[in-house]
Amino acid sequence: MAFSRIELIFILGLSALALRALPQLFLVGKNFPESWDRFLRYLSYALLCGLISVTLFMSGARFEARAAPYRGIALAVTIAIAYKTKSAVTGMLVGTVLVLVFSWLR
Amino acid sequence: MKAAIPVWIAFVPSSVAWGIAAQAHGLTLDEIILMSAWVYSGPAQFAVLLPLAEGKSAATVLIAGVLMNLRFLPMSTALAPYFRGVKRLPLVTASHVVSASSFIVPYLQYQKEREASNGRSVADGYGNLGFFVGVGATSFLVWVAGTAAGFAIALGFPPGFEEALKFILPGYFAGLLVAEMKGWTMPLICLASIVTAIPGAMLNPGWGWLATAALIAILGWSFERWRSHA
Repeated sequence: MAFSRIELIFILGLSALALRALPQLFLVGKNFPESWDRFLRYLSYALLCGLISVTLFMSGARFEARAAPYRGIALAVTIAIAYKTKSAVTGMLVGTVLVLVFSWLR
Repeated sequence: MKAAIPVWIAFVPSSVAWGIAAQAHGLTLDEIILMSAWVYSGPAQFAVLLPLAEGKSAATVLIAGVLMNLRFLPMSTALAPYFRGVKRLPLVTASHVVSASSFIVPYLQYQKEREASNGRSVADGYGNLGFFVGVGATSFLVWVAGTAAGFAIALGFPPGFEEALKFILPGYFAGLLVAEMKGWTMPLICLASIVTAIPGAMLNPGWGWLATAALIAILGWSFERWRSHA
């Protein structure tokens, strides 16, 4: 069954609301196990990192071998700047400018 | 309201970045505003952007979004005891604005109040909910307005900037993750996930990276549990 983008966004929003509201309705006074809390945090970090990798280096099932080194350098610089300055925005801005410069040079 | 200001400030760059990236991936303004207002989850919106824009299967989009949103379960569970006595409708309505940032500010405030009362639970459920909604609802408005502003900003970019526009969101999330990282487990999980996502996506562009990320998270979590028990 094919869904339109709007329908998918609607279903996604419903699932998000369910995940937010169900503990309020049924888990009052209960504790969420600490180790599960940590697992969910690891899961979201791993998913975000996987997604960063796929967004930057893949085009469908094809590895973008030509652009990957430049984007990889920009990502590494972004990470280094964000780590040094503790500012995601500064890292992102420097990385974006670098990607732009690389795309003009290529 | 003053307590919400840091959240608003944090939301401006991420919401604008998402609006810019969504426009660059071909989403319309209606879709962008609907997603920001109804899904209201930066990481999940980022996770579904690529599969949604590329017309991947509904299951891929939904599973990516739901896996990312699972972290709302512990957040909402942690808040629940502080809303004791509140009726269900206001609870469900208010729960829509639970997000990582709007969760932590009220949660720390409630804990501070509980400590001040020598460990006795603060019983004012409606008062606590009011504080939570004050932080959550205003942050929500900043988020939605920010994504619309990002869309408008992206429209103003001349051709030739596509590559840079598409880097904004992954770059921002990479920066966020690094700025928040502590210990060794998280960086190892992130590095392993970045590396294994590529062969994963080559094997299966829809599911490969999701499967490798879930596997890496399970391995990292199991290893940490094994080490803590050893």
